[in-house]
Amino acid sequence: MSTNRDLAAVDGRRRINMDKVMTVVCFILLFIIVIIPIFMIIYNAFFFEGKFSLDLFTQQLTDSKNLSAMWNTLVIAVCATVLGTIMGVFYAWLLGRSDIPCKGLMRALFNIPYMFPPFLGAMAWDLLLNGRSGYLNRFLVSTFGLDGMPFNINSIAGIVFVEVSYYFPFVFMQVVSALERMDPTLEECARIAGAKQGTVIWKITLPLVKPAISAGALLILTTSLAHFGVPSILGYAQGIYTLPTRIYSVIYNSGGSFDGIRQGAALSVMLVVVVALALVLQKKILSSGNYDIIKGKSMRPTLIKLRGAKVPLLLVAVFTLVLIVVVPLVMIVLISFIKAYGLPLKFSNFTLSQYEKVFKASGTIDSIKNSLFVSITAGLICMFLGTLVAYVVQKIRPKGKEVLEVISVLPYSIPGTVLSIGVILAWSGSLGITLYNTIWIILVAYMARYLSFSMKTSSAALLQVHSSLEEAARVCGASHTESLTDVTLPLIRPAMVSGFFLIFLPAMREVTTSILLYGPYTRTLGVQIYSLRDAGMIPQAAALATVAIGIIIVLNAIVTQITKDRKGV
Amino acid sequence: MANVRFENVTVSYGNHTVLKNFSLEVESGQIMCLVGPSGCGKTTLVRALLGLNKPESGIISVGDRVLFDAKKRTNVPAEKRNIGIVFQDYAVWPHMTVIENVSYPLKKQRRNKQEIQQRAMHALEQVRMTEYANHLPSQLSGGQQQRVAIARALVTDSDVVVMDEPITNLDAKLREEMLLEIRMIQSRLHATILYITHDQQSALQLCDKMAIMQPDGSLCQYGTDEDIIMRPANRFTFEFIGVSNFIPLVQRGKEICLDCGEQIPFTQWVPAGVDVAGKEMGVRLNDVVFDRQSPIQATVTSRVFLGSEYNYFLTLGQREIRMQQSMLDARTFGTVSEGEKIGIRFLNPHFYDARKEAATV
Repeated sequence: MSTNRDLAAVDGRRRINMDKVMTVVCFILLFIIVIIPIFMIIYNAFFFEGKFSLDLFTQQLTDSKNLSAMWNTLVIAVCATVLGTIMGVFYAWLLGRSDIPCKGLMRALFNIPYMFPPFLGAMAWDLLLNGRSGYLNRFLVSTFGLDGMPFNINSIAGIVFVEVSYYFPFVFMQVVSALERMDPTLEECARIAGAKQGTVIWKITLPLVKPAISAGALLILTTSLAHFGVPSILGYAQGIYTLPTRIYSVIYNSGGSFDGIRQGAALSVMLVVVVALALVLQKKILSSGNYDIIKGKSMRPTLIKLRGAKVPLLLVAVFTLVLIVVVPLVMIVLISFIKAYGLPLKFSNFTLSQYEKVFKASGTIDSIKNSLFVSITAGLICMFLGTLVAYVVQKIRPKGKEVLEVISVLPYSIPGTVLSIGVILAWSGSLGITLYNTIWIILVAYMARYLSFSMKTSSAALLQVHSSLEEAARVCGASHTESLTDVTLPLIRPAMVSGFFLIFLPAMREVTTSILLYGPYTRTLGVQIYSLRDAGMIPQAAALATVAIGIIIVLNAIVTQITKDRKGV
Repeated sequence: MANVRFENVTVSYGNHTVLKNFSLEVESGQIMCLVGPSGCGKTTLVRALLGLNKPESGIISVGDRVLFDAKKRTNVPAEKRNIGIVFQDYAVWPHMTVIENVSYPLKKQRRNKQEIQQRAMHALEQVRMTEYANHLPSQLSGGQQQRVAIARALVTDSDVVVMDEPITNLDAKLREEMLLEIRMIQSRLHATILYITHDQQSALQLCDKMAIMQPDGSLCQYGTDEDIIMRPANRFTFEFIGVSNFIPLVQRGKEICLDCGEQIPFTQWVPAGVDVAGKEMGVRLNDVVFDRQSPIQATVTSRVFLGSEYNYFLTLGQREIRMQQSMLDARTFGTVSEGEKIGIRFLNPHFYDARKEAATV
């Protein structure tokens, strides 16, 4: 009896400790990864040499350049959100609910902009519609004998156009899946009660998918507010700045001095305030109950016959696809073959030498290696850390689990530029650790930025794993650890894998964060393309961009293949 | 074989005490049904037995092995208690095949491969699932998953098997089958089974002994099923097991009357010395019988044929009374049509304090 008791006492103590250890580890890691950088921004923005001071703020707020940057940021974000939402909802309805042909193919194509890095799109449109030298512009001028360039992509409207074409899938994907999960009898009831088709869409369908629309719109809004790539590529030439690009240029122009970084920190706080305001506003406008009528299981919704409108609508959809997917893609590939930027796109001007030059350049292979290393490492670490946080939040449920949840999601709602500044302030010596100019600082930033992705997917999977499954294992003789490795982990493994890819793919094409963090030997793929273009080597940039797109397409295909296999189990 | 003993077990969640000084013994080799309304603490008790929650005080033991003793700080961890469990939601692991599910407890006991295979197949035989050994749970129906869960609970020859509402998710026919099967398996293995349910019908069908829990988590009666039906300890047991009529009583001079809007003299036996004021008479549906001689006259408002019996709604004064007439009685006495007036008699009446809400009606 006594051995029994001893065993029990020992095991009992150890078990409690394991849960506690996991909880404590979560708090410590999140503190290091998330809290310290955020704290450093706030501290440096408000405190100078240990004293509280608002001088920096008043100085920044009275700078007209900053004010116009703030205004531009808001205008671009609001326009992109409104237009992107309208476009997303329209195409979601068209592909989800009407009898338009080639649905499967079109859905796949409409998802492309989602994985396509927007700054490459901006590059392509800049090549086509640059106010001074765009290929399409010059073509139009010479063909129709116009006096000036008909389009200028280097404008607020141009930035909005490019952002909309890459962000509308946020709304599109959310709404399509909501439409598919919606109980069709709800609409049928309305029809039976005497409502016309249009009334049904307006009064029943749209209100029911409103939560999905507002979730997608919120994503567009926050992403656009924080977006760096498109406004920097299209706006610099005309002196159009948004807050993220302004922060970058302030730091870049100061040569990375502490003063510049402090100014950046102050601007960051402003950007965070703008994002926070936008979130509050959005909540006010779109606040709506979460209707539980959208079921998890799929049902076959009744399709609406388009009749005479079928062909025109199909043409509109195809035209949109060509405009936002095919044209930029083709343009980048074509330019990558051109001998020199500005030459006409004729076959005689094509060469493969740009590829040769790019791959002979010292930085290119390194940048690909760097990107692969950082993305895979960040993906793996976040996969485990995110699952750990999710397990603590969902299953152990310690006091303060809400805090844990908020901390892990926080960095994603903070603009990448801001996060980078926090990481710079935290890890360039002020706390005794210097990671600046090494690859590790980029890794730390990626981990903070993408942790919420894996946390969310693992969380959702863990919610599906009923606690009785783990308990059954315990009662069947498995220790706490064994019940985790035998039951819980295998059940959430698919979610963990998809969490990894959710991080790995965007990290591969990332610019916003790494543009502020790269050092001479730690350029990422995105940074390399960006700086090639910045240095005027546009065909080379296009060549590397083509390679990057190739890598992304291959990786995506692999991911789809893997997730397809998982579904069978 | 072993008995299960709970002695003065107290379990709380936060400030909410679910069980307070709860004591109960499950006799060795019997099926004991623990019956109580939803939320009364049945599952909490089971979890304390399994080691999935920690009581504040008390002793839990199986046979002469103490699993939990608050004073001596004994707390055998769940995996070392060797108790079989069938959860309400089966908890069959979806990523393992049927045979993997069933052999898991044996693997954890580090048995050799051959023995594992043999015993797992034997357990599957007992629940007649051998042909599904290599299926995944998602390919099985609810009833089949249930059997897998039962096989998994039986495979280690645990002395005690706990079943927590194992059949609530099944359809009526399958429920019947499963109950018979559990009964048969138990008579083969002589395991002690603690069966938790809120459904008194299945409890009656299955149990050797029955324990009734009240909503406040206290034990209100323990005994054989006949005991509980025939001699309910209190109004809660009487009401909870079976459907009953309640009629308030009033004293009018020397007469005792049924208060049904109008007062109807009640001449049947009332226990001596019972103060009628504020009392109600409880009668089960099948204890109401037709008797043309009875002075208590009721009108039939509706009659429903249920296959094995007739269900009547009667109006007595202004009160509705339900009764059941067995087929035997229907053959010998004959049925009564709707609208007919007929005498009724109450067999086996019980007298309880009126509930406050009931008194005002």
